[in-house]
Amino acid sequence: MVQLRPRASRAPASASAMVDEGQPASEEEAGHGLLLGQPSSGAAAEPLEEDEEGDDEIDDEAPEELTFASAQAEAKEEERRVRETVRRDRALLKEKRKRREELFIEQKKRKLLPDTILEKLTTASQTSVKKSPGKLKEVNLQKKNEERGKGSDSKKAKVQKVQTVGQNKSYMAVRLKDQDLRDSRQEAAKAFIQNCLYGPGTNRTTVNKFLSLENKRLPMKKAAAQFLNNTWGPVARQALLSMGFSRQEHWSGLPCPPPGDLPNPGIELMSLALQ
Amino acid sequence: MGEFNVHRVRFFNYVPSGIRCVAYNNQSNRLAVSRTDGTVEIYNLSANYFQEKFFPGHESRATEALCWAKGQRLFSAGLNGEIIEYDLQALTIKYAVDAFGGPIWSMAASPSGSQLLVGCEDGSVKLFQITPDKIQFERNFDRQKSRILSLSWHPAGTHVAAGSIDYISVFDSKSGSAIGKMLVDRQYMGVSKRKCIIWGVAFLSDGTVISVDSAGKVQIWDSATGTLVKNHLVSNADVQSIAVSAQEDSFVVGTAEGTVFHFQLVSVTSSSSEKQWVRTKPFQHHTHDVRAVAHSPTALISGGTDTHLVIRPLMEKVEVKNYDAALRKITFPHRRLVSCAKKKQLLLFQFAHHLELWRLGSTVATGKNGDTLPLSKNADHLLHLKTKGPENIICSCISPCGGWIACSTASRFFLYRLNYEHDNISLQRVSKMPVFLRSALQILFSEDSTKLFVASNQGSLRVFRLLEGGFTHLHSFQPQSGTVQSMCLLAVSPDGNWLAASGTSAGVHVYNVKQLKLHCTVPAYNFPVTALAIAPNTNNLVIAHSDQQVFEYSIPDKQYTEWSRTVQKQGFHHLWLQRDTPITHISFHPKRPMHILLHDTYMFCLIDKSLPLPNDKTLLYNPLPPTNESDVIRRRTAHAFKISKKYKPLLFVDLLDEKTLVAVERPLDDIIAQLPPPIKKKKFGT
Repeated sequence: MVQLRPRASRAPASASAMVDEGQPASEEEAGHGLLLGQPSSGAAAEPLEEDEEGDDEIDDEAPEELTFASAQAEAKEEERRVRETVRRDRALLKEKRKRREELFIEQKKRKLLPDTILEKLTTASQTSVKKSPGKLKEVNLQKKNEERGKGSDSKKAKVQKVQTVGQNKSYMAVRLKDQDLRDSRQEAAKAFIQNCLYGPGTNRTTVNKFLSLENKRLPMKKAAAQFLNNTWGPVARQALLSMGFSRQEHWSGLPCPPPGDLPNPGIELMSLALQ
Repeated sequence: MGEFNVHRVRFFNYVPSGIRCVAYNNQSNRLAVSRTDGTVEIYNLSANYFQEKFFPGHESRATEALCWAKGQRLFSAGLNGEIIEYDLQALTIKYAVDAFGGPIWSMAASPSGSQLLVGCEDGSVKLFQITPDKIQFERNFDRQKSRILSLSWHPAGTHVAAGSIDYISVFDSKSGSAIGKMLVDRQYMGVSKRKCIIWGVAFLSDGTVISVDSAGKVQIWDSATGTLVKNHLVSNADVQSIAVSAQEDSFVVGTAEGTVFHFQLVSVTSSSSEKQWVRTKPFQHHTHDVRAVAHSPTALISGGTDTHLVIRPLMEKVEVKNYDAALRKITFPHRRLVSCAKKKQLLLFQFAHHLELWRLGSTVATGKNGDTLPLSKNADHLLHLKTKGPENIICSCISPCGGWIACSTASRFFLYRLNYEHDNISLQRVSKMPVFLRSALQILFSEDSTKLFVASNQGSLRVFRLLEGGFTHLHSFQPQSGTVQSMCLLAVSPDGNWLAASGTSAGVHVYNVKQLKLHCTVPAYNFPVTALAIAPNTNNLVIAHSDQQVFEYSIPDKQYTEWSRTVQKQGFHHLWLQRDTPITHISFHPKRPMHILLHDTYMFCLIDKSLPLPNDKTLLYNPLPPTNESDVIRRRTAHAFKISKKYKPLLFVDLLDEKTLVAVERPLDDIIAQLPPPIKKKKFGT
């Protein structure tokens, strides 16, 4: 039911004709047929129109004539514009960088102590360093504790001096007696074992709960075991606290003491059969 | 009639320290046990599991490894970085050598017994040569990245397996280079952030390496190819120890939940020759972590944080099925920690670093059998005496009059004078100690508190006279012949004439104190002495041995008494001989010479020598018969051993005067309440 137009050479026209004719006739048909047709109809429509216009223009006019000077001028304009934009971009970037640097310097200044205090410290450390040799001489006459105290003070002052003067020194002077190399390694080893066995991630329970397990499974359920003595189960108590809650009423004086556990349950009479 | 007021004392807060390492010596059938406070104890497994020797602990010595080397030499290493050798004859520490590798985590002696390997904190494995009098550093093996927590030699001595964190390395022992590395999964079937710590490794002669780690796995590796052969997941918590038998057909592992598993090499089918490791038996004898296990030819030995030492004989290895094949659990000490000043009713408690002096309470009420009498005056904590220094106290004693206290550590001896005015006491330390009095193994005061007897660790016995301001040295008895078999025990007669000393293999020596010379020697017995006492008036020496035999020896006559010979001829009741714990104290009734009072941990007994002895058919534990039975039956069933099991576990029982007994108990729950926390176990219904 499609009637073809007289321009049989234009294939798109025939397609559009098909579609145009087809639209009112076949509205009852499934949408997909129309949909397929529609974009192609749009695409087909445009070249149709352009061709019609192009046909008219190409035949009539000749190309324009441009002088060399004008073209040169144009090109120069283009160049100037490009240069301008580049310069502007560079200037913008420079400004940005400047602003950023200023910001950083300000932040750094904020972190450091104000200048007045720094001056005070440097003068104080210098004077205390001068004092310490004198102090050490005096110290021989005094007791050992005081000597150790002053010695450590002078050491601390020396340490401060190193840090605040700001020179590139990354050492710290300490007395060998204050630090025991072997002990620190031993402490680290003990901490490692403690962490492995009793640290977080291990599934440990408190001694209280462990002793109460039996009470809970008896036919006559008894109360959980609780300690009268606050020092018992100290490790467990720390574990409880570290878990984030501390139940003070759980540990302090209690109504039901553990069975048969009074310190000295009196004197008993006992008789042995000796006939 | 024996009716007594009994002071039931439960304020002795005795908490033993947990067991850290266990080492079994096959040639002498002895077990060395080291505890977390540094004490090392030696148990003689053939002498009824008696603790015969011990080395006191030290605060800085945290032992992490213990091993026996050739020639009965005992070495230990700990977190202070030192290897210590113990002198089993002089009962002191021979020397301590620093390994210069930081804290030492593990130690293993080579199968030949002449080399010692230690694994250190910095990842180095160091080889030492054992020379006759010392050890000498030989070589460092290739250094590993993390700490070496366990070591094991190949039975031929050619290779060494070292367990670290997340991996096991295999070294060649001749060159010291690492020839293989086996990476261990952090978790059985899964990923985990927690590092896997290899707590134990064992190297078998066919090249298999068995490892136990903190993820609860027991893994069997082939060391030649470095591949995993079999993976057993035995527990949710850490598996902390492993020990392989000498025949390599069974091994035992201990977990942090307190379970001990037994693995055996079993053929796949009954006819095939191919064998595989199968987990056969679980044992739950512990409540806390089992940190050490050992495998003797006939038994599995385990010890851990709950301070019990459990020896479980394996049924298939035991020859004769008698009481020897029963489970043994050693919890309480095999020696006395309590001394008593009878006249003033004072008790001295010995702890690791301090002494406590208590006065007993009193009552004015009376009652009948089984009553609890109210106290009119409570027990008094009179003194808390701390010793200076990091060492543990070896022994202590209070004089019978209550005026002197003496105690000794491994390097110092302390003597204090006490004065009582009304209700106050004042303490004075005797500061001038003679140079030769360094440490004492046993201290005893004479009955009238004028003399002090000290047994020191060079084997000599010294007698001092006590004066008001101090003391003077009277005499030294030189060490007698014979090797040191066990810790020295002393006993002095109430009249002050005789002194008995045990501990050597020559027997019990009896000295005449007035004439200051050796009087006689009781013939040697092959089991060590656990308690000694001399009776008043008759001067009979009563000796208790670790196999539950009790002898009575008359000192003036220099021979065994008639009663003792009768008892030996008839033999003790079989239930008496099957008791687990040794007798630790013997005492006497002041007015009744026929009575002997002795106790062990679970009973105390009054032996009446005038009554007939029980034979195997009679009932040994004879409670008071009901009053409606006739007198004749009562007389027929009565026998010499009056045993009471009412108060237990007992640490000390003594007769204060004619009508009063004191019984110091230590309930097990009180000890458990002060131990570190155990692993959480989910039980159905709670």
